[in-house]
Amino acid sequence: MLEKLSSVLKKTTDKIANAIFLDKNMVDSIVKDLQRALIEADVNVSLVLELTKKIKQAALDERIKGIEKKEHIIKLLHDELIKILGKKKEIVLGKRNVFMMVGLYGSGKTTTISKLAAYYAKRGNKVCAIGLDVHRPAAPEQLKQLCDKIGIACFIDQNEKDPKKIWKKFEKDMKEYALVLVDTSGRDALEKDLIKEIKDLAKLANPTETLLVMPADIGQAARKQAEGFKSAVNITGVIVTRMDSTAKGGGALTACAEVQAPVIFIGTGEKPADMEPFNPESFLSRLLGMGDLQALMEKVHSVMSQEEIEKTQQKLREGKFTMYEFEQQIEAMGEMGSMDKILSMIPGLGKAKIPEGALESQQGKVKNWKAAIKSMTKEEKENPEVLEKQTSRIQRIAKGAGVTTTDIRTLIKQYRMIKEMIKSQSGLVEGKLDQKTMMKLARKFGKKMKL
Amino acid sequence: MFESLKKKLASWLGKPEKKTKAKPKQKAKKEKKAGKKQKKPEKKVKTGKKAKPSVEEQKIILEETKESPEKLEIKEEIEIIEPEEEEVKEAEEEKPKKEGFFSKLFKKFSSAKISDKDFDEIFSELEIILLENNVALEVVEAIRDNLRSSLVGAEIKKENADKVITESLKKAILDVLIEPENLLEKIKSKKDLPFVILFFGINGSGKTTSIAKLAHKLKKSGISVIMAAADTFRAASIEQLKTHGSRLGIEVISKDYGADPAAVAFDAISYAKKNHTQVVLIDTAGRMYTKQNLMKEMEKIVRVSRPDLKIFVGESITGNDATEQAKTFNETAGIDGIILSKADVDEKAGTILSVSYVTKKPILFLGIGQNYEDLKEFKKSDVLAHLGLE
Repeated sequence: MLEKLSSVLKKTTDKIANAIFLDKNMVDSIVKDLQRALIEADVNVSLVLELTKKIKQAALDERIKGIEKKEHIIKLLHDELIKILGKKKEIVLGKRNVFMMVGLYGSGKTTTISKLAAYYAKRGNKVCAIGLDVHRPAAPEQLKQLCDKIGIACFIDQNEKDPKKIWKKFEKDMKEYALVLVDTSGRDALEKDLIKEIKDLAKLANPTETLLVMPADIGQAARKQAEGFKSAVNITGVIVTRMDSTAKGGGALTACAEVQAPVIFIGTGEKPADMEPFNPESFLSRLLGMGDLQALMEKVHSVMSQEEIEKTQQKLREGKFTMYEFEQQIEAMGEMGSMDKILSMIPGLGKAKIPEGALESQQGKVKNWKAAIKSMTKEEKENPEVLEKQTSRIQRIAKGAGVTTTDIRTLIKQYRMIKEMIKSQSGLVEGKLDQKTMMKLARKFGKKMKL
Repeated sequence: MFESLKKKLASWLGKPEKKTKAKPKQKAKKEKKAGKKQKKPEKKVKTGKKAKPSVEEQKIILEETKESPEKLEIKEEIEIIEPEEEEVKEAEEEKPKKEGFFSKLFKKFSSAKISDKDFDEIFSELEIILLENNVALEVVEAIRDNLRSSLVGAEIKKENADKVITESLKKAILDVLIEPENLLEKIKSKKDLPFVILFFGINGSGKTTSIAKLAHKLKKSGISVIMAAADTFRAASIEQLKTHGSRLGIEVISKDYGADPAAVAFDAISYAKKNHTQVVLIDTAGRMYTKQNLMKEMEKIVRVSRPDLKIFVGESITGNDATEQAKTFNETAGIDGIILSKADVDEKAGTILSVSYVTKKPILFLGIGQNYEDLKEFKKSDVLAHLGLE
């Protein structure tokens, strides 16, 4: 996603760091590049001008000299960017939790509910959803179908046109759930009637969190919408959707920081698992090309339950890594979303140039691997080493799975690589890896991974 | 709709709002006088200023009442000789009235030729106005180049400077916009029915709602129409279209979820042929233009349905990404026309310019509300009128 902005920011810091002497011309050109990049990322124009003015001032300040100055500017840039990205917020669930979603038409409220439901259910909470969008045709059906897919209880009433009545009707049923997700109609923050409706609803449902859903590609209108919703229903957090587009989310992210509504999650795709908690620090470090391990670990957790992870870890500690575990890994990878998303989170790999289409063919390969593993005998699965150099076995599996022998050979190679990776760093699955060792690993295996 | 942009443009051009048509002449006169006065000694101005110490107040009065030519002259002179003070005043005034484009222009040059550097300085303000109004950077740059080529080095007489510059700006904006054809005429003139219209866009841009609105419009004009639910991916999308269909009394052709969207389109077209329906509107799933497989699916739908019109549905609130979206869809599927939804949400007109510029295709309609009637035909002249440039 954010390659372009990212590359400009990296270039800017490099330029500053490598400059022998920061003169006015140099500073002007750096500031201009920076302005361009941020404006293209939809950051509010006045914010951009403010930020670059500060950078310029610091750069031309005669009191700070030499290397100190460069560090000072880079740090200033970092701090200012963090400032416009806002503070980090994590939702801590209490005894009773009601999340009410609000936002513009088509910003992704209903889809986000299914993602939130999956996220919290995976973490062992009893979750239900209630559909109060009475305006858009088939909105309740949409919520119901999404909930059915992930096995979450869903309360809807297609015939009732008063959202308050629907809420009252199901109030008792919802008592037994720890988390209630409330879907509401899309609305313009500046339209009075609909704002009154949502205010009344908020009074009735008394939500513990009111979450504003905003698309990443929204432009300079972001600020007005954020302000409008904030003043109408006191937004406690924001979820930015469509972060898988080429949009940089600058409008949404910074507008929310400005009205002091922290961004909590970002949506990165169409699948239920395509949502990440938002952390300004790690988001920025990803922007600057430093990878984001935390997000990767979070992802692992959202597709594998705690129990599964512990079981795998136990096996790994015993030095066992069989095709069973490998299959599990592949599956988890599949659920985690597309390869490019995962790669962007691994430090060092985010920058790697991957030929177009290579990632998709890799995903195709993974599909073949799953079939191949299913065609293996128990012995082969538990002890894949028997496959080495046994052409007849490989041929048999290839035939059974309907794939080529080359596929099987790459599979074995990949298996060996991951096994080696795990052996050398059993900390990987525990998430206790520090950035430095991860970088090392990434470099080591980045070369080996043939995409 | 475009109030904020209009307001700002007006102040940039040095025109008061609403009086756009009456003002320019007056302004030009002022310019003339100011030009004459330039040669006169500074002394007079200084004394004039001392005699009337509350220049700020006076200026406000001037802006409001627009009377007394004498006072106008004085104001003009002060502007010319003391530009620094002008800035301070601006900050202090309650209703900051920006120094107009023209007074700025002729403060700087006694000659009528504009150099590159002067242009940059003058344009920087317009640049920010455009950016704040959601025009994508790429398009702002195009407008700048356009203006530059017609203004820099050109011989401009002071008397008609106003006209020349307004015309150039108008031309720059008109160059970006494309006038749409009359859709109803186009449909009626097609001989072998049906006329197939395919809709696409990213998730949540308003495709289904726009289809329902257009269907309503066509039906009202006496054109028979059916809708094809080729969004077989998103939950309840088929129900959504069917609900619209039953409300409007329009038939919906559908299959199950997960069915091949191209097949749904094909079925709808064959159905229309059999029943002599004039128009088929095909709804497709919202897709991220970054997903290659989804874009390939789009290509297949286009190949199978061979639409007469391919409409890209975008949001008028989209920022810089609008250009990327429109570009990618245009490359893979080919855009013939554009509908911008949610135009009632945002008063900024920027996305209209951005999308038109990158696709070089006309904007057909603007979605301006939640009701079936809320689909407005787009006209180039509307934008100009809204901007106070007509």
